[in-house]
Amino acid sequence: MALPPARPAPRVLSRETLDAIAAACARYPRAQSALLPALHAAQAQLGYLPEPALADVGDALGLPVTEVTAVATFYTMLFTEPVGRHIVRVCTNLTCHLCGAGPVLDRLRRGLGIRPGQTTADGRVTLEIAECLAACDEAPVLLVDTDRLARVTPEAADDLVRRLGADG
Amino acid sequence: MGDLILTKHLGPDRASIDAYLATGGYRAAAHALRELTPDRVVEMVEQGGLRGRGGAGFPTGRKWKLTPKREGETRYLVVNADEAEPGTFKDRTLIEGDPHAILEGSFITAYANGVHHAYIYLRGEFFLGYERLSRALGEAYARGYFGRNILGTGFDLELTIHRGAGAYICGEETALLESLEGKRAFPRQKPPYYPAVRGLYDRPTVLNNAETMAHIPHIIAMGPEAYKAAGPPILYSVSGHVVRPGVKELPIGTPLRAIVFEHAGGLRPGRTLKAVYPGGSSSAILLPEHIDTPADFDSLQKIGTMLGSSAIIVMDDTTCVPALVARAVEFYRDESCGKCTPCREGTVWLSQIFERILAGRGRMEDLDLLDDVARNMTGTCFCLLGESVPPTLRASLKYFRDEYVHHIKSGACDLAPAATPAGAAGGGRA
Amino acid sequence: MTPGDRGAGGFAEGEFHSPDGAFGYPAPTTGQGTEATRRQGPRGASPVASPSAPAATAGPAAAAGAVPMVHLTIDGHQLAVPNGTTVWHAARQLGIEIPVFCYHDHMPPIGACRMCFVEVEKMPKLATSCTLEAAEDMVVRTNTDRVKQGQRGILEFLLVNHPLDCPICDKGGECPLQDNTLKFGPGASRFIETKRTFGKHVRMGPVLVLDRERCVLCWRCVRFGEIIAGDDALKGFERGYHSQIATPFMEPVASKFIGNTIGICPVGALTSGTYRFRSRPWDNRKHQSVCPHCGCGCAATLDVRGNDLARMRAREHPEVNDIWLCDKGFFGYDFTGSADRLRTPLVREGGRLRDAGWDEALERVAGALRGTPPEQIGVIGGAGGTNEDAYLLTRLFRGVVGTNSIDFRADTAFPQPAAAAPWGLGRPISDVERADVIVLLGCDLTEEYPIVWLRVKKAVDGGARLVIANPWPLEIARWARHSVTYRRGTEPAVLAALSGQGAPDDAAVRSGAEAAVLRDAAALLGGAKQTFVLAGRTALEQPEGAAVAAGLAALRAAHPSATVSLLRGRGNAGGAQALGLLPDMLPGYRPLTDARARASIAALWGRPVPASPGRAVREMLGAARRGDLRLLYVAGADPATSYPAAGAWRAARERLGLLVVHDAFLTQTAAEADVVLPVLTYAETAGTVGNLEGRIQRRDQAVLGPGEARSDSAIFTALASRLGAPFAFSSWEEVSSEIARLIPGWAEDARIAPPPITAPPSGADTPRASRPGEARGADAIDGALALVTGAKLFDRSAVSLRCPGIRALAGEAFVALPPDDAARLGIADGDLCEVRSGRGALRLAARIWSGLHPGHAYVPLGFEAAPVATLLGEDEAPFVTVRALVPAR
Repeated sequence: MALPPARPAPRVLSRETLDAIAAACARYPRAQSALLPALHAAQAQLGYLPEPALADVGDALGLPVTEVTAVATFYTMLFTEPVGRHIVRVCTNLTCHLCGAGPVLDRLRRGLGIRPGQTTADGRVTLEIAECLAACDEAPVLLVDTDRLARVTPEAADDLVRRLGADG
Repeated sequence: MGDLILTKHLGPDRASIDAYLATGGYRAAAHALRELTPDRVVEMVEQGGLRGRGGAGFPTGRKWKLTPKREGETRYLVVNADEAEPGTFKDRTLIEGDPHAILEGSFITAYANGVHHAYIYLRGEFFLGYERLSRALGEAYARGYFGRNILGTGFDLELTIHRGAGAYICGEETALLESLEGKRAFPRQKPPYYPAVRGLYDRPTVLNNAETMAHIPHIIAMGPEAYKAAGPPILYSVSGHVVRPGVKELPIGTPLRAIVFEHAGGLRPGRTLKAVYPGGSSSAILLPEHIDTPADFDSLQKIGTMLGSSAIIVMDDTTCVPALVARAVEFYRDESCGKCTPCREGTVWLSQIFERILAGRGRMEDLDLLDDVARNMTGTCFCLLGESVPPTLRASLKYFRDEYVHHIKSGACDLAPAATPAGAAGGGRA
Repeated sequence: MTPGDRGAGGFAEGEFHSPDGAFGYPAPTTGQGTEATRRQGPRGASPVASPSAPAATAGPAAAAGAVPMVHLTIDGHQLAVPNGTTVWHAARQLGIEIPVFCYHDHMPPIGACRMCFVEVEKMPKLATSCTLEAAEDMVVRTNTDRVKQGQRGILEFLLVNHPLDCPICDKGGECPLQDNTLKFGPGASRFIETKRTFGKHVRMGPVLVLDRERCVLCWRCVRFGEIIAGDDALKGFERGYHSQIATPFMEPVASKFIGNTIGICPVGALTSGTYRFRSRPWDNRKHQSVCPHCGCGCAATLDVRGNDLARMRAREHPEVNDIWLCDKGFFGYDFTGSADRLRTPLVREGGRLRDAGWDEALERVAGALRGTPPEQIGVIGGAGGTNEDAYLLTRLFRGVVGTNSIDFRADTAFPQPAAAAPWGLGRPISDVERADVIVLLGCDLTEEYPIVWLRVKKAVDGGARLVIANPWPLEIARWARHSVTYRRGTEPAVLAALSGQGAPDDAAVRSGAEAAVLRDAAALLGGAKQTFVLAGRTALEQPEGAAVAAGLAALRAAHPSATVSLLRGRGNAGGAQALGLLPDMLPGYRPLTDARARASIAALWGRPVPASPGRAVREMLGAARRGDLRLLYVAGADPATSYPAAGAWRAARERLGLLVVHDAFLTQTAAEADVVLPVLTYAETAGTVGNLEGRIQRRDQAVLGPGEARSDSAIFTALASRLGAPFAFSSWEEVSSEIARLIPGWAEDARIAPPPITAPPSGADTPRASRPGEARGADAIDGALALVTGAKLFDRSAVSLRCPGIRALAGEAFVALPPDDAARLGIADGDLCEVRSGRGALRLAARIWSGLHPGHAYVPLGFEAAPVATLLGEDEAPFVTVRALVPAR
């Protein structure tokens, strides 16, 4: 492999994030393979992937920022625009659709006052449609950040809205 | 439940290596490594009759044999744990409920194929699965089941969990490899990019589904004959309008009727069966008249559908078929990678027509148009994602034409809860 | 990447020309590729045999006898093609057109657009012919109802979201989507939904306009950036039906080759910011031309509407530019139409230049030439015109005036002796792609000879190892096996280490480059079969230049099969050199000292050729300062800004009796002249030009020049007449014929390659030779930084300033600093700084370049508003102090 080119000083990524990226790099024979791990790490630090973060990731892996950004925009879990402190991902795919995801989503939309893809004005919650979360035995399901909620009823959706309004 | 093989020990604490070792874990791996040649392992897997559990059902042992084993050439193992086929949740169940089984299977597969670096491509949304699989892997490394000079035999194996980031297309094996290489997940041209020959980093690559991995230790531990005699077992994901949805471990070929009405507890009281997806959303839907078909590769293929990922989605008479199909079309629209024309443009056009019909602005000629657009996608897409749209759409136009006509003529749906497709308003990425 | 892992990426020796460019191109195969090519699919080099000329085009593979043939039937016609040929190419060989959007002959197939369906017996589905390899006994049909239905279906899909705004689209009339729809498409659309919309015509910087609604997502432009240019300039963003071609956050596209994406875009999604709305394809006259800029001599076509140059496009030349053109060529054609063009001769009177008639101006020049002893006359330039212009220049000044003081190298103060160290590439540019090791030494390839980079990229994709040694990291460093930065002036030590004649550790200490890298690079050279060592301006234009040339000669001696080249010279420098616009060289690379050569030329001219050696530019200026050179004739050069020591020029100019300048613009030199003669440019004259490889190419007159401007040839001819020795040529072809009598093999499309570099004689004629390997590397002393300069492709020279696209691409001049030095000096990116040497000062904005060798500062050449020559002298490697004029943020 080529020697890594001299790297400019990072713009926004922390030492910890860059260390995580370097550790990921060591797991693959080619640096580009560490791109998704690197983007996950950058997003974990910043909440989303602003342009300087994408540029930092590119510098860390020796990739053009065009490539980094093109890859980042392909995957739905990576955000290049700011998102809320909490992300609620509602599965509306076939089984959940059959099992009542529609009313659940309606409650969330009403309760949060936003449409899927939007973030509440206070920056607290982003509502997203998720594709099948592979938990159809628990349909309808949704993810609140990293936690999966099973067999969500419209009432449980109302509870969730209240809970998200209450905590940070 | 004494017959269960794969799902016998599922539980929230199974990431602990002690829990796994206590039930005989890693014995098959140690046995293979110490007592069996790699070729013998391949042979046993072939004799066990295991067919890949990702959807295509290719015999696993034969797949391994297709991977050239040239001296000095790096080979990779990639485990597809990017489970995302609607209705399918068997891999996630294993990853969360028995993660070491997948690791041990990967270990044995790597040994059998002369692989020294394996990757598990784990679906990005599997937060709990990642937590448990990572913990399991950490403990397995600590006990010397991974790393250098494993069990003192001189065999080295690194295993890396690679998290996806939200893209159904990564379930397609060549797209998965692109993604693992850090790129946009566009599927690759086959030929020449058959993973077995030119896979990860252009190297020969064994690419297997996560559930497939979980079968391997049992084939080694039980012996191929006993394993085969047990079914061989597979995991059906049963969901939808049934009383007891869940992963059902059953001998392959169990009739759909038994799966739905016995193992999944049948329909909700007072309901009748309307339709069934036998193998995930990519399989053509079946009618009640097909319910006695054995759920195996060949029987389902004979009636124009497929076992696929063995995900059975059950729909009762409350289901609005056009709304359901619209939802499926939207799913493929949103998950189309955009590489090829018919998938990218066909799915969005179809969903626009559906949107109009469901909003009461349908025209009778839309029925032929839907069918014709679907026909123009059939056999023309680059990969199976786009090809998954037409079967159910065209089957629904055939079997449930009245429902479409009713929507067009009355401008409304009589079937209350599912009438509004839950995702219709969202539609795609922000 | 392993050494043997080359696959079929490279071409075997051999050529395949074809008159129309349609056939004879290598067909992609789906055979073994390499890691680098894998990304986008297979590529290969198996040529398609043309039925009309099988012997000529069966090509390298068939000649090598390595590729077996397969037999197939297409639409009832049987044919045999080399194994690996795609069905699409096989059909084309039969003259059967199968429509495509994503497939492009210069990139491996991707199979994305699904337009090229065929039906193949025993295959259940339609197959994409661009990805399908022909196989034995395959039976293919291209025109069945099923195929037609498939193609209609795809076109309908492509059109549902296409705006159909052909009447206002630049692509109209040369649009594959338009053409394919007419030939293969459905008559009407059944689409009644809302079309996908995007923000319209986004300006992606000064030269590229993007219309995402027109885009059919064929991925050609994206893959061009990945596969051909290696700049990843445009990318696909989002996915599915949201997919779009873009740059991150729609920033201006960063590329030197983006014009090519306009050319290969099959719709009007990418259009040219300079050509936009200027003409329609059917209104354009097309003229054969050659790009006038960098010296690669890329074959080009000029499209002319009325008397306006509408655009320049690449013309296919397999050995030079293939089908590509860099953006300097693509967008830098229109300076000819500038209002600043000189239209009449100017003469100095009372200290000012005033308009004059040709008679007056020519007589003033002729009178001065008659009245000045030949040894007091010098000529600088001659690389701006045609070969015929250059030849008449040498015939006028050697044969009629009687001086050998002729030097086209107006921008060098440290010339290596031309006879021992000629400029140029000794091999065809296309040979570079067959290299297995390529070394760039002080050669900023993409800034100076961008089209050569495309061949280097191809070689790298085929497994070649690229080694870059330069004081600053090049933008292509990520493609290099090794990229090292060294201290200015230590090239001899680096070279010695590379050629195995110096200890890497020792060289590392002197140069600041890493020893392990030098050792590995030397080992690569030792094991290579096809090596190219390309040394550039940075290595050569400095006090150590002679030692660098000597080191290169030693390297070549150590590796006799290596191609060792000095990549220098712009415009028609290749022709100027071949025709002997040099103090020590005669036409045809014959040294002036060759008495037989002088005699044969004298016989042809009927005039003696002076034997006394002439002066190089530097010596001319020195002689002028001493009062020994009174008349300086500058032809198409601007030494006042380009000679790398502005003070030396100024002192020389002050003592000159007469300064005559030929130019199209009132350059700095012209403004200082006594007589200024307005000349025609590349688009306004006909003739041949030479290039970096010594290739002779014809360019035709495309437009009429402004006012009374004349060609160089016309001026030299008029002067010869006035000096009583008239030339008897009535056309450039006649001049060319006479050149052919002097230079064996001289003909259009021939290549008169520069001879290989040999050890320069140690002697007084080299400005300053130091011992090879002696490190004169510069460490920062008292906070001063070693100044390095380099050319930029996009600059603001007299010509570039008059090309709006190039001018905008160039931006402002700057000073680049290494991060540590910038921090030490309290300078942040963007700060306005004063850069001062012992000779002058410039005000420049700072840029922080990580990787620039510590203790160095970089300032680009070619910016009229920031003449870096004012900082430089003829005798020393310059140091500068840099300080922020505003406090650092």
